Amino acid sequence: MTAEQSTAVPPDLTRTVEAHGKAVATGDNSAVLADFLPDRIGQLIASADVPAQLKGADVRAITAAGEGRYDAIIRYTTLDDQWFELRSRWARFDDGSWRVFSVRNIPDTPPWMDITGPSPDGLDTPHWEGLRAGLLLLQRCRRCATWTWSPRPICPVCHSFDTGFEPVDPVGTIYSWTRTWQPFTPESTGHLPYVVVLVELPAADGCRVMGVLAHADGLTPRIGAAVRGEIEQPPDDRHWPLLRWHLEEQTR
Amino acid sequence: MNGFRGSTAVVGVGATDYFKRGTSPLSSAQLVLQAILRACDDAGADPRSIDGFVSYAEDSSEGLAIGAALGVREVRWSTQVWGGGGGAVAAAVNAAAAAVFSGQANCVAVYRGLSEASDGRRAFSKGHLGHLYAAHGVLAPAQVCALRTQRMLEVDGVPPSALEAVALAGYHHAQRNPRAVAYGQPVDHDRYQASRLISEPLHLFDCSRENDGATAILVVNAERAGDYRGNPAYILSGVQGAAAGWTESAENEDRYTSAGFHPALVQRLWAGAGIGAADVDVAQVYENFTGPAVAAMIDFGLCPPGRAAGGFMTVENLTVERGRLPINTAGGNIAEGFVHGIGLVAEAVRQIRGGSPNPVADADISLMIGGPMAPLVSSTLFGSEATV
Repeated sequence: MTAEQSTAVPPDLTRTVEAHGKAVATGDNSAVLADFLPDRIGQLIASADVPAQLKGADVRAITAAGEGRYDAIIRYTTLDDQWFELRSRWARFDDGSWRVFSVRNIPDTPPWMDITGPSPDGLDTPHWEGLRAGLLLLQRCRRCATWTWSPRPICPVCHSFDTGFEPVDPVGTIYSWTRTWQPFTPESTGHLPYVVVLVELPAADGCRVMGVLAHADGLTPRIGAAVRGEIEQPPDDRHWPLLRWHLEEQTR
Repeated sequence: MNGFRGSTAVVGVGATDYFKRGTSPLSSAQLVLQAILRACDDAGADPRSIDGFVSYAEDSSEGLAIGAALGVREVRWSTQVWGGGGGAVAAAVNAAAAAVFSGQANCVAVYRGLSEASDGRRAFSKGHLGHLYAAHGVLAPAQVCALRTQRMLEVDGVPPSALEAVALAGYHHAQRNPRAVAYGQPVDHDRYQASRLISEPLHLFDCSRENDGATAILVVNAERAGDYRGNPAYILSGVQGAAAGWTESAENEDRYTSAGFHPALVQRLWAGAGIGAADVDVAQVYENFTGPAVAAMIDFGLCPPGRAAGGFMTVENLTVERGRLPINTAGGNIAEGFVHGIGLVAEAVRQIRGGSPNPVADADISLMIGGPMAPLVSSTLFGSEATV
């Protein structure tokens, strides 16, 4: 098989994707579900954020994605003539039909969770207040200068009750990561899959903090890669600002 | 070794059916009671003679309420072990043994029950993934264990095939266990690989999924074991704990890719029983997720660390027919059913007592490993009569 042939889009896939876009746009749910791989229907339904009513669908591109799969970008028009795009990955099912293997809203955006802000015990309140002030604040003992994360009621090293919070330069390396596909909560719909990184901070003696890796669509993070945190402002006043992590250019 | 070794024994095992979560016709308390009554039947014990109750992971059925429902003559011991999820499952067994060994109770029921209708979703992790996790989209134990597993694979070099072997071994054993939720639904390499991702590197079949159900065992003094039916499974040794630097701390644990079974704890377990890792005939390895199960086996020295783990962790090595160390012989959390690991206790006991769907020939030493990567971890060693 030549390279040209291998990247050619099978005609039956093109027809399937066109019909799928129309089914989504017209709200033909049984047709939409019939296009999903049967072992992951729930995951697929809850992955993409799609308004209840749409005006139209336009297949923008279908490209080879390797392993015999293809990515389709479909632009949907909403009733108020706005548009958004979903990218679906298609695979051949056992019965020979093309089925949706995964789907996501593009571009990728991080989720905003309902559980946020200071913990009920209040130990981490200064951390959250710090984010509102534009700073990453972590707990540091005022007596022995030990960094402690997550915060504790006293310093676990010297037992001082005089614990404080100090700003930390949000620059570090990826200690570990995971890309989450499963919709564990409704707030993640429209943002799946997303990548969470655990970041080791040299400026806080190697303390590690969690956060979403921004613009992670299509890339595989690498442990040890350099990242920089930026505080993202929340969409509304129910939420708190969050540190989002960005790969440094040289490590992308 | 000490006086604790072999001084207590499990003389009864009882379990309800496993139900798809949210479908049990019985409440959580009724499930627990049914399991205890079945354990009494197995042991030939009078339910009213039970005088101790132990559970873990915030079981909604308090010992006193269970005792009252059974109409027991006296409650002398009622204890729940702290620590989230199934990390404390073996610690609950050990607590029962401690009560009996110290003479504070004569017959202690260790139980765990779950009904989603009674207890809500994700009862195993309530309150354990706080705001510093949830705000960043980390809401489920799968994600935390995925973070730790990813580093174990990427930095320590454990091959992903080790995870797959744990999953496939459980599914293999479940095919001979009519009680298992995966009975009649085998999973092979292709089906495993094709399964959807939950949180990388974990696939669907790497993950346990909650069921409704309950299991209970009865722990008594070994000197009284003859008063009950069947072969006793002697408790040789038990440990629970968390090392310095291993506590709930927003993913700042030392030895991050370990399962939390630090060397001193593992050594205490072996020393208490007077045996070593090579003496274990069969193991029930709590797989909340396959990655933590692999990490636990490495912690215990049952499997080499790093790249070499792949050589040992094969389906053949982990299954009863030809395995060097059969694990999760009733299917495990992943394929038999998941009620916070209590089913693994029952199977660890049955490998000694009899009644396992996949008995290991001449098993004398049966290891139970509680919830790995949990803030508190625990383990119990059971032995046959020949070991005491």
